[in-house]
Amino acid sequence: MIWNKKIECMSRDEMHALQSEKLKKIVAHAYNNSPFYKKRFDEHGVRPEDIHSIDDIVKLPFTVKQDLRDNYPFGMMCVPMTQILRLHASSGTTGKPIVVGYVQKDLDNWSEAVARCLTAYGLGSDDLVQIAYGYGLFTGGLGAHDGVTRIGGTVIPTSSGNTQKQLQLMQDFGATAVACTPSYALYMAEEIRKQGLDINNFKLKVGIFGAEPWTNAMRKELEDKLHIKAYDIYGLTEISGPGVGGECECQNGTHLWEDLYYPEIIDPVTLQPVEHGQKGELVFTTLDKWGMPMIRYRTRDLTYLNYDKCDCGRTAVRMGKILGRSDDMMIIRGVNVFPSQIESILLEFPEYEPYFLIEVDRVNNTDTFDIQVEVKPEFYTDQINELVRLRQRLTSRIQSVVGIQPAIKIVQPGTIERSTGKAKRAIDHRKFE
Amino acid sequence: MLIRQISVFLENEKGKFAEIARLLGNNNINMKAFTVSETQDFGIARIIVEREQIERAFNLIKANSYAVTMTHVVYLECAHKPGAMAEAMEKLAAAGISVEYMYAFADSSSEFSHVIIRPDNTELANQIISEL
Repeated sequence: MIWNKKIECMSRDEMHALQSEKLKKIVAHAYNNSPFYKKRFDEHGVRPEDIHSIDDIVKLPFTVKQDLRDNYPFGMMCVPMTQILRLHASSGTTGKPIVVGYVQKDLDNWSEAVARCLTAYGLGSDDLVQIAYGYGLFTGGLGAHDGVTRIGGTVIPTSSGNTQKQLQLMQDFGATAVACTPSYALYMAEEIRKQGLDINNFKLKVGIFGAEPWTNAMRKELEDKLHIKAYDIYGLTEISGPGVGGECECQNGTHLWEDLYYPEIIDPVTLQPVEHGQKGELVFTTLDKWGMPMIRYRTRDLTYLNYDKCDCGRTAVRMGKILGRSDDMMIIRGVNVFPSQIESILLEFPEYEPYFLIEVDRVNNTDTFDIQVEVKPEFYTDQINELVRLRQRLTSRIQSVVGIQPAIKIVQPGTIERSTGKAKRAIDHRKFE
Repeated sequence: MLIRQISVFLENEKGKFAEIARLLGNNNINMKAFTVSETQDFGIARIIVEREQIERAFNLIKANSYAVTMTHVVYLECAHKPGAMAEAMEKLAAAGISVEYMYAFADSSSEFSHVIIRPDNTELANQIISEL
């Protein structure tokens, strides 16, 4: 099934014309209503009149995550706050979150995008969708919620956590789909086995998985254990949330809803667009988002685009797997972690050297988060309790800033690589193939 | 009597203490006593060597990139008789001294056991011990 056949199956020429019209309008809106964008465009020597078609998008300056932090909380809004109906936020690197705001039209477009994904997964008004993404400032819960409502399905808003209750309701209510992170789904599958529940007593047929990278091996495991088809849902808070794109029944790339979120792939070093099909950094322009438009927002996700028509009938461009990041951000247990955060925390402690090595792995479907650190020679002591206390203080500080608890390992002096600049500060042993 | 002790930070991995022991052995330094305390991922080896060798031992370990500290600890010659240790510890407790850690070794050729004490107040503890 296709939710919006006109758009999702539009010819490339028609899509080009639609995107061109929308880009002109949103650029004018941003320029005229946002001191941030006006200044940025003026510095770049570009004005709304210079934009005649979507191809002119390359004349526009980029927007980056730091811009959202610098303008915290409401400096990126392009409408008066009286028109903003909802705020969402995601964790930032220094404890300061990034904030996004939505007008009614933005919420409508967001639920439209999620509705397209859900329909592509084969879901409709007969379905009961258990939403085990966190509800709250995180876009996952409410984003999926509004999408299910849009297609007329039944929402089971359990939010994340309390797995035993989740499973009981899932079984008793006969949920036909579950939306959560793929690692939480694997955890649930493990709990089903541990509690001796029979998967045949569940009515699940679809898994809606996103918010963290996952592999085809995980897909197979989830499909086997939960007796479902497991589909990717892609999104990011800055662009709107989950539903920027989703897979179809072909499970051969994630369709991006490019009438709403225009994707480009650029070389992260030269910042120039790459040839079609080449790998590079994904950049989005929100073509129909009015509360807080994002113009050429650099996602830092590395991937490639495929403009061939899909076997499902959709012409909507498909994105490949996320191959990595053009910065050093890692997603650990669903939380964004930057090695630079760890560095700045270590600098707060006179007892520690500013060198560290983060190691991430996935054991029993849970991410491990180990950090090797060194104590400065003058702060070593013959008393073990003092070192244990020192380690505990660092653990607590990192947990409060980053949001997840690391396992701190104090190593011998000189163990950690010293070369600045290119030093390997993080090793991700998880396999996303 | 106050004596000096070397403490070495060691990662809790196979062969770590062997590295230290080999380093001292190859340089003809004998360990008179040692103790190792450990947590899950690291430990501290506390080592006593001959007085005239301690500077050399310290510099040798440090030069090989280990975290090493030198601390004063109280040395107690404790008679081989029931209640001797109790008496010493009661005196320390009465003076309000806490012991961070201690270890002891005996040799049958002597009428004393040798006790190493790391108190929170080294000077005071040493004074009390020498008056025993």
